[in-house]
Amino acid sequence: MNNIATQRIKREFKEVIKSEELAKCSIKVDLVGDSYTELKGEIAGPPDTPYEGGIFLLEIKVPETYPFNPPKVRFMTKIWHPNISSVTGAICLDILKDQWAAAMTLRTVLLSLQALMAAAEPDDPQDAVVAKQYKEYPEIFAKTASHWTNVYAGGIICS
Amino acid sequence: MIIFAGKELQDSELLEEYNLAEQTVLHAVKSRRRSFKRKSHVSTCIEEDEEFDDTKRAAVNFYVYCTSPCANITVGKIRVRCFICKSGAFTVDSDPKNWNDVLKSKRITGHCEISQCTDGEVGWSEFYFKCSEHVTKGENDEAVALNLIRNNLHDIQCLACTDVRSKVFVYPCDDGHVTCLECFCEYAVSRLRERRFIFDNNLGYTLPCPAGCPNSLINQPYHFKALSKDHFEMYERFATEEYVLKNGGVLCPQPNCGAGILVDICDKVTCINGCGYVFCKKCLQGYHIGECLPKEEQLIIDITSYSVDPKLVSQSKWDDASKVKIKVSTKPCPKCRTATERDGGCMHMVCTRCLFPWCWLCQTEWTRECMGSHWFS
Repeated sequence: MNNIATQRIKREFKEVIKSEELAKCSIKVDLVGDSYTELKGEIAGPPDTPYEGGIFLLEIKVPETYPFNPPKVRFMTKIWHPNISSVTGAICLDILKDQWAAAMTLRTVLLSLQALMAAAEPDDPQDAVVAKQYKEYPEIFAKTASHWTNVYAGGIICS
Repeated sequence: MIIFAGKELQDSELLEEYNLAEQTVLHAVKSRRRSFKRKSHVSTCIEEDEEFDDTKRAAVNFYVYCTSPCANITVGKIRVRCFICKSGAFTVDSDPKNWNDVLKSKRITGHCEISQCTDGEVGWSEFYFKCSEHVTKGENDEAVALNLIRNNLHDIQCLACTDVRSKVFVYPCDDGHVTCLECFCEYAVSRLRERRFIFDNNLGYTLPCPAGCPNSLINQPYHFKALSKDHFEMYERFATEEYVLKNGGVLCPQPNCGAGILVDICDKVTCINGCGYVFCKKCLQGYHIGECLPKEEQLIIDITSYSVDPKLVSQSKWDDASKVKIKVSTKPCPKCRTATERDGGCMHMVCTRCLFPWCWLCQTEWTRECMGSHWFS
């Protein structure tokens, strides 16, 4: 990886470690291997949502051209959410695509994802089945999402 | 009176005390005026533009592109002449305070000493730059101002690598975002490789601020001279190709040619200044009479025209592997046909060239239907 990307990721890594969100166990990043090309992210399910109490793992791949291109982010923990694929964990979020800007960071990405979990956008790009349920049967949606949280994202205690 | 760079030199000083460089252009005119001291009345300047910092004046460098003989980005020196008659025998009423004063016309008043010019009326100054790294070749030896490259007087950190470097690039957005010069090059090269420069009819082939600010296109393409020679050539080639394609032209399909040709309505195109190949505008194959054939059929005809071992033929194709790779790993944008690779994420594609939103599965425009039924798989 080129120097700019590595150097930038190193700084951002420190930024996350020092952040208040980390202190509150709400976001976290870890290195995968020695290089800074692949990282593991963690987001705590936001309070007052079906994701509360869950810890969601993210796969973060940093491209060679970072920060001029966005990191590739995917949910490794299965999640029931209208804007995230229930099968592959792929996220269709504008800031991870054409709305990315070089001034954004890993921290802002993780916080945006946390915000997306708290406020889904069912009228915009969506996983068909999940979105339909979200709009038409919100109670069943909440139950399913909460069930998935317990089964796939539960039981990890932030240290 | 003796004039140098818009200032009258005082009779009380010796020329050598002014510390002028070799071949400096001075203007000696017979003074025809003026017992009164002109009051400086600078045109209204409301913009809160960054002022040239007087306390650090010595450290202010202007960067320029010197086309000849340096062919490089160099430190420049600012000079002034009359806006009307372009004579250097011109004195300014005040110094320019910011880049707007320098780059925009009619901002700083002055007085032209040439008798036929606007004597008595308010004269306007016009600033220009010279390269300070070669001995001047005279008054017409100008260099292009690179106003976005500046010395980092305020120790601002680069938004990309977060280092504080001495030379920075200040993007023309409202916030004046800053990257170091290295990151500017890195940004430009990554956008160049992805062909994501923007072709603007007025400003040319350029880039916006990397922080995504609106109305922030770099307005002087010479800034891209900061790239390496190879990358700048790439920039020039892509810019030309984009211009040709935007204007309804085609690129010659012959290997190692690729010349841009602006075509009329006729389908038969001849690569006039290039390799001389004659081809069909629609299918980019050799020129033919009648309808274009689908690609596969052409291939069969080519092979069956005389008998050779098909196995040998398949092993002996120049660059066939790349073509196959491109063919299997890409799909054409349904609008502009640019071969597009999908390297992850969802099925919602946005063409990097024509910005058309399309569906990877349907290969048509992206719709709510696509969103609903196969957004992710």
